[in-house]
Amino acid sequence: MFISGNEAISKGCIAAGASYLAGYPITPASDIMVYWLENLKKDERIFLQTEDEIAAMHSIIGASLAGRKAFTPTSGPGFSLMQEGLGLAFAYRAPLVLVNVMRQGPSTGMPTLFSQDEIMQTQFGTHGDHTAIVFYPNSVQECFDLAIDSFNAACESSSPVILLSDAYLARMYENVNLQTDKKIANYPFEGVGTGTRHFTGLTNDNGRPDTKNEKTFVKWMDRIRKPIFETAEKYSMYDYHKNSDSDTLVISFGTTSRIVSEWKKEFALFRPIRLFPVLEKELNEAAKNYKNVVLIEGNYGQYTQVVQAALKREVRHVGVLGGKIDPNQIYQQVKDVLKK
Amino acid sequence: MSNNTEKYNFQKDVPTIWCPGCGLFMIKKAMMDSFNELGWTNKNTVVVSGIGCTGRGAGYFNVDSLHTTHGRAIPVAEGIKLANPKLNVIVFSGDGDLFGIGGNHLLHASRRNIDITVVCNSNLIYGLTGGQMSPETPKGLKTLTTPDGAPYNPIRVQKIMMANKQHFYARTLASDINHIKDSIKKAVAWPGFAYVKVESFCITNFGRKLGYKNAAEMVVARKKEFTYQEKENVLKRTELGIVHS
Repeated sequence: MFISGNEAISKGCIAAGASYLAGYPITPASDIMVYWLENLKKDERIFLQTEDEIAAMHSIIGASLAGRKAFTPTSGPGFSLMQEGLGLAFAYRAPLVLVNVMRQGPSTGMPTLFSQDEIMQTQFGTHGDHTAIVFYPNSVQECFDLAIDSFNAACESSSPVILLSDAYLARMYENVNLQTDKKIANYPFEGVGTGTRHFTGLTNDNGRPDTKNEKTFVKWMDRIRKPIFETAEKYSMYDYHKNSDSDTLVISFGTTSRIVSEWKKEFALFRPIRLFPVLEKELNEAAKNYKNVVLIEGNYGQYTQVVQAALKREVRHVGVLGGKIDPNQIYQQVKDVLKK
Repeated sequence: MSNNTEKYNFQKDVPTIWCPGCGLFMIKKAMMDSFNELGWTNKNTVVVSGIGCTGRGAGYFNVDSLHTTHGRAIPVAEGIKLANPKLNVIVFSGDGDLFGIGGNHLLHASRRNIDITVVCNSNLIYGLTGGQMSPETPKGLKTLTTPDGAPYNPIRVQKIMMANKQHFYARTLASDINHIKDSIKKAVAWPGFAYVKVESFCITNFGRKLGYKNAAEMVVARKKEFTYQEKENVLKRTELGIVHS
């Protein structure tokens, strides 16, 4: 089927069993809502267009606790508004999927153009200290596949999962196979209205608030963090193209990784598909064979710092800025940073 | 009948964080009584709260309950109700939470007329944080953040609710448990968004500053502010009753 990245995400969410969508219009994520509505019959879906992204996020938390697979698509500024709810979702351990289609910020920036601005915001945007599982596809097929994986990982870890995309991937059309043999994970607990549980954002021991005890806090955080790391292990996805003739490893992800695929003869290539938790082992395994490591990304060096910390060695950053993707220019930038 | 209401009480965490003499005890008791008379059980009921003194309320009910982020009880409750329309979903929060930080959600959820009931503990102050001005603080009254008296007129939620073609607004008094109970039962029976404002009081962080020696004095004073109106006409500021359309 010849569809766009946004349509593939909505179809992937449907294949994963998502029956609840709350959203607020924002370019370039809005048509995920529209495709989702077009592709489901009225009695198969519950849709709420909210007054803002804060309400969208909180409404999917409610739907999620009520036992439905729920998600919301958004972009930059909307993603910022959702950070408050994201913190609550981690505290509740609510399985849900947040799709962030990145555009060039800050603020309204260049709303129709590509960026990779919100890499770190997926981790540190919300209050509290926890990580989120983050996937980032680079083809329309992967948009579909990773939407399913996102819901599976959300249900398995009982946590929010963030699926990244970008303005170019959103509007890119490709042929996609919509048949999947992926197993669809079940919703992890019984929905609310069936017992005497208390869900709270306060530090708690099985729903009982205990806000003055560091032992309870650590136990609580372990309960939030551990399933995320354990589940992530199952999704250690990446692409690695070895090149024993080259002394340089080029790392890239999402739309920018599509340019470097032309450079297979000249460089070794690595593409993390699960951006977080960082593929530390896999990155180290790949990078140890090369003298230079270059990272290409659509920002001023967010993931470069992350990879640098993981590898404990210098990573040279190449920025694809202002929404423009010019392969020749990027190639020249790579050559330039290698000269330094 | 009153013995049966205890099953809705979450015993393990009593005593609550609420101060002695707080209006919240009465509202909670009235809510439990109405749950009992409505035949609600922990198999069909969810209580959702925001943040603040009232925000802790959800956790004191022995049903599935949610203590959400500040101002977001209504969108979370809306998500639950849409996801599972069979549930009785009740929001229990305060004035600062519902129409300060959460005002936009109140505006739109009431317009969408989602079938939930909102019970508001209108204590006219941000109590848990020490007594700052809330959207309902009457003009001229001193609070921590308005040492010269609150400079603004309080929000008129009745008018906001009445802006919706279909609406249900009840005003009741924290010291009159039966009136709260009746208001809640009527609100629940209303097919759509129903809002119950309970005129309440905060002795610790508001009343004492206003010169009341104890909660009883404040209850009596607040009681004197209001009269009952049965005609279901638009309520004057000092009238308790119900308006719907």
